Amino acid sequence: MQQAEIHDFLVRFFTSSDCTLMPVQSTFQVKVKLNKSMDKMLMNRPFYWHYIEQIGAEPETATLTFRLSDKIDDGEFIHFGSPRLHQIFNAAEKMGQFIRLYQILPPQSAPALEPWLGLNLKISYQCDLKKDEIRSVGLQLINGTLIEGFQTMLKKLQLNQKMPDYCYTLSPLIKIQSGIQRIERFIESELEAEPTEWADQANERWAKDQQLLDAFYENQEQKPERYIQEKKALEEQYQPTINVKLINAGIFYLQSSTFLPGLIKGH
Amino acid sequence: MKPIVQFDRTWHDTFLKHIQDDGPWANSELFSLAYLAEKERVIPTFHGLIAPGRLPQLKLHPHQVETARIVIEEMHGKAILADEVGLGKTIEAGLIIKEYMIRGLAKKVLILVPASLVLQWVSELNTKFYIPAVAQRKSYVWSQYDVVVSSIDTAKREPHCSIVKEQDYDLIIIDEAHKLKNQNTKNYQFVQALKKKFCLLLTATPIQNRLNEIFYLCSLLKPGYLGSAESFAKNFKSGLRSVKNEEKLKALVNQVMVRNRREDTGLRWPKRIIKSFDIPFSHAENIFYDSLTELRESGIVQPFSLLTLQREACSSREAAFVTLNKIYRSSASPATERIWHQIFEKLNAISQNAKAEKTLELIQQINDKVIIFTEYRATQLYLQWFLKKNGISSVPFSGGFRRNKKDWMRMLFQNKVQVLVATEAGGEGINLQFASHLINYDLPWNPMRIEQRIGRIHRLGQENDVHIYNLATQGTVESHILNLLYNKIHLFEQVIGELDKILAHIDLKDVDKQVQRIFEESESEGELKIKLDNLSSVINFEQNSLREDADHAASGNP
Repeated sequence: MQQAEIHDFLVRFFTSSDCTLMPVQSTFQVKVKLNKSMDKMLMNRPFYWHYIEQIGAEPETATLTFRLSDKIDDGEFIHFGSPRLHQIFNAAEKMGQFIRLYQILPPQSAPALEPWLGLNLKISYQCDLKKDEIRSVGLQLINGTLIEGFQTMLKKLQLNQKMPDYCYTLSPLIKIQSGIQRIERFIESELEAEPTEWADQANERWAKDQQLLDAFYENQEQKPERYIQEKKALEEQYQPTINVKLINAGIFYLQSSTFLPGLIKGH
Repeated sequence: MKPIVQFDRTWHDTFLKHIQDDGPWANSELFSLAYLAEKERVIPTFHGLIAPGRLPQLKLHPHQVETARIVIEEMHGKAILADEVGLGKTIEAGLIIKEYMIRGLAKKVLILVPASLVLQWVSELNTKFYIPAVAQRKSYVWSQYDVVVSSIDTAKREPHCSIVKEQDYDLIIIDEAHKLKNQNTKNYQFVQALKKKFCLLLTATPIQNRLNEIFYLCSLLKPGYLGSAESFAKNFKSGLRSVKNEEKLKALVNQVMVRNRREDTGLRWPKRIIKSFDIPFSHAENIFYDSLTELRESGIVQPFSLLTLQREACSSREAAFVTLNKIYRSSASPATERIWHQIFEKLNAISQNAKAEKTLELIQQINDKVIIFTEYRATQLYLQWFLKKNGISSVPFSGGFRRNKKDWMRMLFQNKVQVLVATEAGGEGINLQFASHLINYDLPWNPMRIEQRIGRIHRLGQENDVHIYNLATQGTVESHILNLLYNKIHLFEQVIGELDKILAHIDLKDVDKQVQRIFEESESEGELKIKLDNLSSVINFEQNSLREDADHAASGNP
C-alpha cells in the first residue's frame, strides 16, 4: 500500500466514523480529533475512561497527528508496517462487519427490490507456508442466482442505508441460514477442484520428517511422551489446511436487472 | 491426501441476530474500508518475503533477507543460524519472526537468550520490527503475552518451568545455542521438552568440528535428522573425536544450517589498523616491578600469584595494590614485614604511570571517540581519575552493570563524552560501532577475549576503518604476550570468527591457561621464548591448514 493510499484510507476512515479532521500544514499529514468511541478503540486507556465515566466529567478525547513522509517531523510516522495502521485496519473491520443496503433507482424504474446475501471471505491456504485469497460472493435469495466478484459490482451501484420511499422489497424464499450454507458449499466445491500441488508437497515434507522421527525412536517399544509431542508438532507444522474466514457480510436489496448475464454464474 | 477445509462459522449467530433486530448496521463506507483493509493484507503467494516491505526504516543486507527466505522456504522453519559474529543474526531472527507473524503462521513466540541480553532483544524487536515482545518478569507473562523474551535460567526454574512447558509455541528461538551441546544438562532437557512448531538455534560458534555438539543440536531441532544416537555414532564417528563420512555429514548439516561468512556477504568491511607500543616503565615503576620477584624468592607467594602481580603491575600500581594488600593481610608475619615494607614503599614511590601517559597522548591525538579496555577495575578507576585530571571526561562500563545502566553509559558515551573505560566483562553484549578507536590498555591472555573486544566496534554498521592500539610494557610478561598474539599469530589482523574455529579445532580453548603454565614453568627467559614459539607454531599450523581447506572448498572440488 503506497503512502498516498494510506492517506486516503485514513481520511475516509476518520470521516466515516464521525471523528473530526483538523487542518494541517502539509499534504503528508493527517490530524484528527477522535470521538469518544474511537478514543476507546485506539488509545488503550481504559482507566481514564472508567474514571471519567465514574465522576461524570466531560472527557477530553485524544488528537492524533500522522505523517506519511519521513521528511517531515511533526506527527507519528505511519506506513504499511506500522502497528497503528493495523490497529486502524482492525477497527475498520470491526466497525464494518455487517451491513444492509438498498439500491437507489433512477426514476421510472420498476419499484421492486430483490434480496441478496453478500459474503466477503478470506481463504487461507496453510501448511508450513501460507497464502491467502479473497472471494466475494453474492446470492440472490429468491432464485438462488450466485455471482462472484460481488463487492466489485456493488461499487458501481448507488446504495443507501434507507429504503427509497417509492420502492418495496420482495421477500426471500431462501432463508439467510441456508443462503450461507449454499455459499459455503459453492466455495467448498471450488476449493476441491483446485490443484493440490502445494498440499501434496507439504504432505511429502511431513512424511519425510515423520520417518526421521520414527527412526529416532525406533528401538523404543513404548514411545515416550516426547515422541507423541513431536509427532503432534509435525502435524501442526505441515498439515495442509484451508481456512475460510468471514471479512464482512451484508443484505442488499437490488433491482433485478442489475447484473449483466455474462457476469452471472448459473446455479 | 486432500487439504482439510475449515469454515469459521462463529459469526453466523451474530449476523442472524442483526437481521432479526434490524441492526445495528455499519455504514457503507466502513463496510468498503473493512474489505479494503483485508484486501491490502492478503498474502498473494507462498513464496518470497512480505516483512521487508513492511519495515521501511530498517536497513537490511541482502544476506539477511536471503537467510530468512532460506530458513522459511527451504528449511521449513527449523534451522541453525550460525553466521560469523557481527553479521546480524538477531536481525535475521527478527525478520523470520516478523514474516511468520505477518503470515499468521506464528503467534506464540518464545525467545530464550542470555540474561544480559534480554532487554536488548526486547528493544530491538520493538523498535526495529514493531514486534510487541515483552521481557518475562512475572509468572503470568508466559500465558498472557504472545512474544516473550527470557533467559533459560529463569524459564527452567519453578514456578515458571511447568507453565512454560504447558504453552504451545509456534516458534522458539534460542540465542547462544552452542551452550546446549550436552544432552545431560538441565538446560538441554528443558528446551527439549518445549512444544514447538518452528525453531531457530542461534550460535556464533561453528559446530562442524564437534561431533556430539552437531548431533545434539540437530536432534533438538529435528529428532532423527542425524539418526539415533547409535546410528549416528556408527555412521559418522571414528574413535573419540574424528569424523568419518565427513562430506556426507557436512551435506546433511548444511541443509539445516545457514552460515554466512564475512567474505561471502559482499559487504565492504572496514579495515583493521593496528598499532602496538612497547612502552618502557618509568624508573620508579621498574624498581617496583623488579621487587615483586622478591616475594617469590622469599616464599611469600606462589609462582601463579607472582604472575598475577606482575600483570597487574604492568597495568597500574592501583591494580597491583589491591592484590598485594590482600596477600599482605592474609600472610604477613614479623619475619616478612621488612620485605613487605620495602615493596609498599616502592609502590608508593611511583608518581607516574607510563602507559596512562601514552594513553592520554593517544586520546589527544585521536580527537574522536575512544574505547579503553582494561582487565582491572582498579585501573579503570585510576584511568578515569587520571583523564579527568587532564581535562578528559569518561564513563565507566563493566559487565556487572545492570542493563539500564549499560544503556545509559552507552548513551552518554555516544552523545556526551569522548572516552569509555571498560573492564573485561564489559566486552560482551554491547555494540559500540559508532566508535572506531580502541585502546587495549592491557592484554588478556585469552585471544578470544581480544576478539570480543574488537568485535564491539568491528561489526556491521561500522563505517570507518577500525583503529586498534595495543599497549605493552617493555621487558615484562606483557611484551611476551604482545609478541605472541601480534607478531606470531597475527591475531589482530585476523578475520573475526576464524580464531574461534582454529582454537576449537586444536582443542585449545584455554589458551590463557596454556600461556600461564608456560610462564609458571619456565625457568629462564630462553625456555619461555621457546615454549611460546611452540604454541604459536601450533596455532599457525592450524590456521594455515584451515585456510587451505577453505580454499579447497571454495574452488568447488567435490
